[in-house]
Amino acid sequence: MAASDQNDDSHDSSNMPDLGEAVDTVTFGQILEMDDSEDDREFSKSIVFGFFEQAEETFEKMDKALETKNLDELYRLGHFLKGSSATLGLTKVKDSCEKIQRYGKKENVDGTPEEDEALCLTRITETLKTVKAEYADVEATLKEFFKSP
Amino acid sequence: MTEGEISAAAQGAGNNSSDFVRKLYKMLEDPAYSEVVRWGDHGDSFVVLENEKFTKTILPKHFKHSNFASFVRQLNKYDFHKVRHSEENGHTPYGASAWEFKHPEFRADRKDNLDNIRRKAPAPRKAQNAEDHFGQNQQIVVLGETLAATTQQVQQLQDSYYDILNANKVFVDEIMHLQKLIRAQFQVHNELINHLNKVEQDRRENRNSNHTSSYSSGNTGLLSDGSESPLELRRARDIINGLSVEHVADRDLNRLSIAFHQTGNSPESAGSSMMGPPGGSGVAPFMHDPLNDVRNLVYPVGQNIGIDPFAPEHMPNIPYNRPGQETNAIASGSDFNGPPMPSHTPPNGALQQGGSPWGAKKPIVLLVEDDRTCSRIGSKFLSQYDCGVDVARDGLEAVNKVNSRQHVYDLIFMDIIMPQLDGVSATAMIREVQPNVPIIAMTSNINQQDLESYFHWGMRDVLAKPFTKEGMIGKLKKYLAHYLRNPPPEAMMDQMYSNGGLGQPPTPGSYANQGMGQLGPLSATSSGAVGKFDTTPIQSPATSSSWHSPSQLPHASPTLAQDQGGYLAAGSGSQMVLTPGGTQKPQYANAMMQQMGGPPRMPDSMQQRQDGPPEKRQRLYGPQGNYNQ
Repeated sequence: MAASDQNDDSHDSSNMPDLGEAVDTVTFGQILEMDDSEDDREFSKSIVFGFFEQAEETFEKMDKALETKNLDELYRLGHFLKGSSATLGLTKVKDSCEKIQRYGKKENVDGTPEEDEALCLTRITETLKTVKAEYADVEATLKEFFKSP
Repeated sequence: MTEGEISAAAQGAGNNSSDFVRKLYKMLEDPAYSEVVRWGDHGDSFVVLENEKFTKTILPKHFKHSNFASFVRQLNKYDFHKVRHSEENGHTPYGASAWEFKHPEFRADRKDNLDNIRRKAPAPRKAQNAEDHFGQNQQIVVLGETLAATTQQVQQLQDSYYDILNANKVFVDEIMHLQKLIRAQFQVHNELINHLNKVEQDRRENRNSNHTSSYSSGNTGLLSDGSESPLELRRARDIINGLSVEHVADRDLNRLSIAFHQTGNSPESAGSSMMGPPGGSGVAPFMHDPLNDVRNLVYPVGQNIGIDPFAPEHMPNIPYNRPGQETNAIASGSDFNGPPMPSHTPPNGALQQGGSPWGAKKPIVLLVEDDRTCSRIGSKFLSQYDCGVDVARDGLEAVNKVNSRQHVYDLIFMDIIMPQLDGVSATAMIREVQPNVPIIAMTSNINQQDLESYFHWGMRDVLAKPFTKEGMIGKLKKYLAHYLRNPPPEAMMDQMYSNGGLGQPPTPGSYANQGMGQLGPLSATSSGAVGKFDTTPIQSPATSSSWHSPSQLPHASPTLAQDQGGYLAAGSGSQMVLTPGGTQKPQYANAMMQQMGGPPRMPDSMQQRQDGPPEKRQRLYGPQGNYNQ
């Protein structure tokens, strides 16, 4: 069962699936707790699948914004996806979105200003690749999780 | 010694002493150098024929430097001597610029003799030992002097440390005293405003006495929108509410104060007299107590992204009462899963039993959030806590909703970065029509400037994103306490909501109920302590101290401290082990309870619960096992 859940006594660890390090068990767990029934997981499932749509839309928008070199839009999109991925506890996706947000705001990862827009765009291009891969991983994990009740 | 050892030792000594000579010999063996440096004609000396070439090419290869003077000096040290031809013969066999060096033992045919060429004044073994001894003695003397100097330095540092410590103690006392004064002032102000409000109400009532039927609702509206109450009063209230009486540093301050008073005049300050635990144990562990570190507690999620809660700039702005208070409130709920308590059924318990945590009226919450994932999860949290929920997808929609349905919303959660209209602007606009509804920013972008602007534009609190159910419900309980079916006792209300909630409740009824007159600190000591602890086991030792002048704090003897510490440690478990200074905490807690006329009938379990730092409590008892079903 979930090893990462050991520190948190508030959740019954026996209910917690182990979704790997890409998913924060505590955060994701509190969404699972909202389900009326563990059999169909209606609420959490709809939230998660809603997030999938949202994420894919956002990635498309990010690709477009990259083409037009619209850093501001990339900042906004990064922030947007960061919020929902964080709420679901998708740690890796969240971290990468945060990076995109920073680069879009012409900042370095540590928050210091970065004047070189080309560099920011390059970094976003790379991070976007990473986050898409991370997303694909976690999407597979979650789809697997919701497939079997 | 065996023979082998002797020869090895000799070898070692030889190697050490004549490394240079060996290199020299090896160099001369190389025929490639014969144009530059070679053995003398008789094999009993060597000649450097071309000084410059020798210095540039050969010296670096064999001696790792290119300094001829240094080479000569080295030769001299080994008792080589330059052969002066001019004086003897009037001519030189090797040329005018050649340097010939000679050592009686250094011969081309006596390679085995190299070991006998030693540095000058190498002296026999015994002499060398003497020299070593001398050196060691010298070293010891030097070390001794250094030690003495260091000791003195340490002493000086210690002295100034004590000075600073004492000064600090004075400052902390002074600050505590001032805080008390300010708190009193704050309450006086509240009283005055209350009184004036009442006067104003009465005046209005008299004037509208023919509208008696709508008396109560009119009464309700009076304060909820604030628009009917006189401008001055409203302004005064806003100012008061804008000020944070308590802030995060209080905790540390209290801890400091406690630490100072516990160590009392013990080793630290007295310097010489040794009583009680060894010096340092008093203050230091308190400062580094990881479980009590406020930094971990500021946000429910444990993330304080980019924000330093201690930065002085936003101290006055942050209306966090005390870190961990929401979690405390929650803990109070989930602790009572077992037998239902007749008089103080906690909200969560009520929910579990199919009831609502709220009283006659459910609060309606507006959730403003552009991200539908967050929005749906947030709504779910709220609706599961039996709130009415309305959702707006951006600031503009929020403003429209508030405008079209005035006074409907009891609380607003507001995202910051949104399309159309951002949360801060929306808040500013809402404030124009609804000056009092609590608006809580939801954001992960927390830095000082942001926070300042949030509070400046009328937000009352911040819920860190990603928000948690506990965080969200904590805010509900904090700002909508008057809606709860079983609101916490007045004393606790005042204490908990001293900086924002007080003036905000929309209904004068509940407002009056909260009893502005019954001031937290005063009633805390007198009002039924048992009841208080039942509902809200908030009192962490550190917080309760803020209501007492430090001078009232018990100067417990170390023995007592240990006794009590031990007693409580037995009950409260793990954190005692984790924190070296832990014993002082429970000691204090216990002492405080006694001082407050603490409940003798208080069950042990309660006592234990109060001992733990809030964070620990949260983990142990916290978030909603209730919802698991």
